[in-house]
Amino acid sequence: MKNNDVRIITASPEAVEINKNELAQRLKTNRGFENDTLEMCKKRLLKIINYKCAYIRAPLDLSVENVCNLGFMSVKSKNLYKNLSGCKEVFVLAWTTGIAVDRLLARLNVTSQAEHFMTDALSSAAVESFCDYVCDRLKSENNCVPRFSPGFGDVSIQVQRPLLERLNAAENLGITLNTAYLMTPVKSVTAFMGIK
Amino acid sequence: MKKITDLIKEKRVYFDGGTGTVLQGMGLPAGQSPELWNITQPEKIISLHKSYIDAGCNIIKTNTFGLNRDKFKNYDELIRAGIECAKKAAQGREEVYVAYDMGPTGRLLEPLGDLSFDEAVSIFADNIKAAADCGADLVLIETMNDSHETKAAVLAAKENSNLPIFVTNVYDAGGKLMTGADPAAMIAMLEGLRVDALGMNCSLGPDIMLNIIGEFEKYSSTPVIVNPNAGLPEVHDGETVYNIGADDFSDYMVQLAGKGALILGGCCGTTPEFIKKTIEKTKDLPFLYPSKKNITMVSSYTHSVVIDESPILIGERINPTGKPKLKEALRSGDLNYILNEAIRQSESGAHILDVNVGLPEINETEMMLKCVSAVQAVTDTPLQIDSTNFETLEAAVRLYNGKPLINSVNGTEESMNNVLPIVQKYGGGLIALTIDEGGIPDRAEDRAKIAEKIIARAAEYGIDKREIIVDPLALTVSSNPESARVTLEAVRLIRKLGVKTSLGISNISFGLPRRDIVTSTFYANALQSGLNCAIMNPFSQAMMDTYYAYKALNLFDTGCVEYINYASQQQSPEKNTGGDKKEETLHTCIVKGLKEGAVKYAAKLLESTEPLDVINKHIVPALNEIGTAFEQKKAYLPQLLMSAEAASASFDEVKKKIPADCSDKSKAIVLATVKGDIHDIGKNIVKVLMESYGFTVYDLGRDVPPETIVECAVEHNCKLVGLSALMTTTVPSMAETIELLNKTDPEIKTLVGGAVLNQEYADMIGADFYGADAMDSVRFAEQFYS
Repeated sequence: MKNNDVRIITASPEAVEINKNELAQRLKTNRGFENDTLEMCKKRLLKIINYKCAYIRAPLDLSVENVCNLGFMSVKSKNLYKNLSGCKEVFVLAWTTGIAVDRLLARLNVTSQAEHFMTDALSSAAVESFCDYVCDRLKSENNCVPRFSPGFGDVSIQVQRPLLERLNAAENLGITLNTAYLMTPVKSVTAFMGIK
Repeated sequence: MKKITDLIKEKRVYFDGGTGTVLQGMGLPAGQSPELWNITQPEKIISLHKSYIDAGCNIIKTNTFGLNRDKFKNYDELIRAGIECAKKAAQGREEVYVAYDMGPTGRLLEPLGDLSFDEAVSIFADNIKAAADCGADLVLIETMNDSHETKAAVLAAKENSNLPIFVTNVYDAGGKLMTGADPAAMIAMLEGLRVDALGMNCSLGPDIMLNIIGEFEKYSSTPVIVNPNAGLPEVHDGETVYNIGADDFSDYMVQLAGKGALILGGCCGTTPEFIKKTIEKTKDLPFLYPSKKNITMVSSYTHSVVIDESPILIGERINPTGKPKLKEALRSGDLNYILNEAIRQSESGAHILDVNVGLPEINETEMMLKCVSAVQAVTDTPLQIDSTNFETLEAAVRLYNGKPLINSVNGTEESMNNVLPIVQKYGGGLIALTIDEGGIPDRAEDRAKIAEKIIARAAEYGIDKREIIVDPLALTVSSNPESARVTLEAVRLIRKLGVKTSLGISNISFGLPRRDIVTSTFYANALQSGLNCAIMNPFSQAMMDTYYAYKALNLFDTGCVEYINYASQQQSPEKNTGGDKKEETLHTCIVKGLKEGAVKYAAKLLESTEPLDVINKHIVPALNEIGTAFEQKKAYLPQLLMSAEAASASFDEVKKKIPADCSDKSKAIVLATVKGDIHDIGKNIVKVLMESYGFTVYDLGRDVPPETIVECAVEHNCKLVGLSALMTTTVPSMAETIELLNKTDPEIKTLVGGAVLNQEYADMIGADFYGADAMDSVRFAEQFYS
């Protein structure tokens, strides 16, 4: 079933500024860390990165304690229930940086661990920054609570499947799940973001 | 009723339009699987089909898009019910065909995903068996956004039915599939697989598809299908509407038909009205069946390589003949060496990479499959599958993601009888060697005759001449003085047969000093004689010089742009040896992480210093300096890694000076990420560091079962094993591995690390040492062997 209410947001590599704190955290460096190789890795990554987000706006029913009913799926979780309390609707979102990043990482894994490590950190920081980019846009028009991703707290990673299917994520974003519920492309994120 | 494959040769035919759009109008809630209605509300599905038949379409798509055994337990029942609905709707109608509609699995194939190619074929095969059994008229494989999965679906259809196969892929506005293939790459692969019609559907409106249709017009000899969306979805007052109406849609379809689209229909957002208007406006347009394109093309999962007059370079480095390092890598299963060769050849300008792994002592088919998959994970350069073993050839051509070049068939009955059916089934460009039962003829004319024989035999299998690339075999000129002259003459004669040519160029100079001079001169002569492809060494500067110069001189390089670019990248002799900087030494290069400098200064030091002194007095102290700085938080992990790589590179220089049998294998470690865990970044960091300290590392990769780790430690009599895990869920697997190691050989010490571990965990699972970071692990290993 190809649901036709799924919205798509894309962004050019230049439009998303990679968050320096996120990057430093992943590189395990201080915030101002600079290095020629890192700069080269960043340029190469930005040439192939393909930011894409898909989302829907779903109704939210919190009438049963610790159950977040979104119509198409129901999530049993204390943490998410608390996060969404007071919300009437919820954005269901998925983001990715595209499969070319996986291919680049696979190649660097062979040619240079230093460049692999830096590119991995850069692309992780990039997808997080893209998440913020989209959320900021949605927040500017809606009163939203902070986003909440499956796998955090008591929200099972298994909710990925109905979530991604609802977004037609395979077709819209190229995101697929493996049997351990891990996403490919590897630099992909999903989340719920409640709307008050 | 005529076969659909005959009908599309006579007239424009029409698919129906969107299913979801219409069903949602009938009350299907968003997010619910419409396929369930095949059983619960069949009358609505029949009515949907009828509305499209009434609109005038010829092919109705069954409501079975998302069904497969992974997603629905009763997929078989739902497929049968779906086809039954369509057949009921089509009953008694003229020229209406039922297309069994099959969508993607929703999983990604290996190597980036975890679905094996065989498993994908098997999932699709189960679907096809059900569809063929209950009387579908054709198979429509649609909305495929990955070339490998498309190939799996087509093979499943071919192997489990005789139904005509139509395929449509989803392109983005840039004209690429989600996993990167462009239309030419898909056309090359799908025509090789001999599908009956191909094209595009979904994702885009007809307006954007107009930007892409030209590629189909240019490359496809097969009828083209266009099933666009009704533009892009937009939300108006909470309702989703597509932004192109039926009138505009059908106007665009007229333009698409004018550009060669023969089979028209719709996808998301389109309704019977869209199809009706499209038919009205296009049915009287001239019917132009696609012309046969005489293009020789191979492809990968992103792009095609057209073999034409502009010379094509086929990298020869992944072929063990005369390459001891590669032989050793194949024997030890060191894929990393092979992958490095693949990446370097691609970066050096090879258009296609030869892959030959034939060694008597290894299982060639197994190794070939591993290599094809692993090489395709790191480079999108198309591959030439090279084997004399027919079983290996077929297995690799089957698995290959794209349309490969196949090396090779020759004029013997045995070869033709075995290789041609492989090309017939899977498609592929085919290298044909001019040798037969009588050996390699001395005369060029006789070599051309063998080529003619192969061309004729291939035609019996429906293999077009355009797929054949004849190699008239360059023999060593030192022992066959006539060889170059005869081979060049054969190239000229064979080109007159209307096929392309290829030569293994390097053979010519075998046994001669300064081979590059002879090889590159022969290459220039061969190009002048009409050679298309050269199997050659892309690392040879003489060969690349000839290649770029030839292109510049023969109008294959407009404005000499490529030549100038190439020439400017060639370093001047002065640059090449690298002017020394006063303050730079091997030590400083390692500390600063300068790989090239480290190699240069190591080589220089080795002229006057014993290899072991270079290690102990220069490399290790430098590594210790950066290691200590890292431990004191004065340097960071990226810097430590760069230093380790510089040290490893200089270490490789040192190793060249140490006889192979004297290399130190005493300091060794087995490294693996444990079973169930696919995160290997931490393990790889440890590996680089260990190697830079001179350890022999047996790297087993990620997701490694305990038994494999034990086997490796025992085989190499290695008493130190490093295990990594990132996810809490895989710590038990680490515990299991340690238990098995201890049971097998209590002398083995285990060192563990990874994001979820700490000292307490490590103690709990019985590890001998917990490495908080990579440096910590190296210190322990050093101590262990001290």
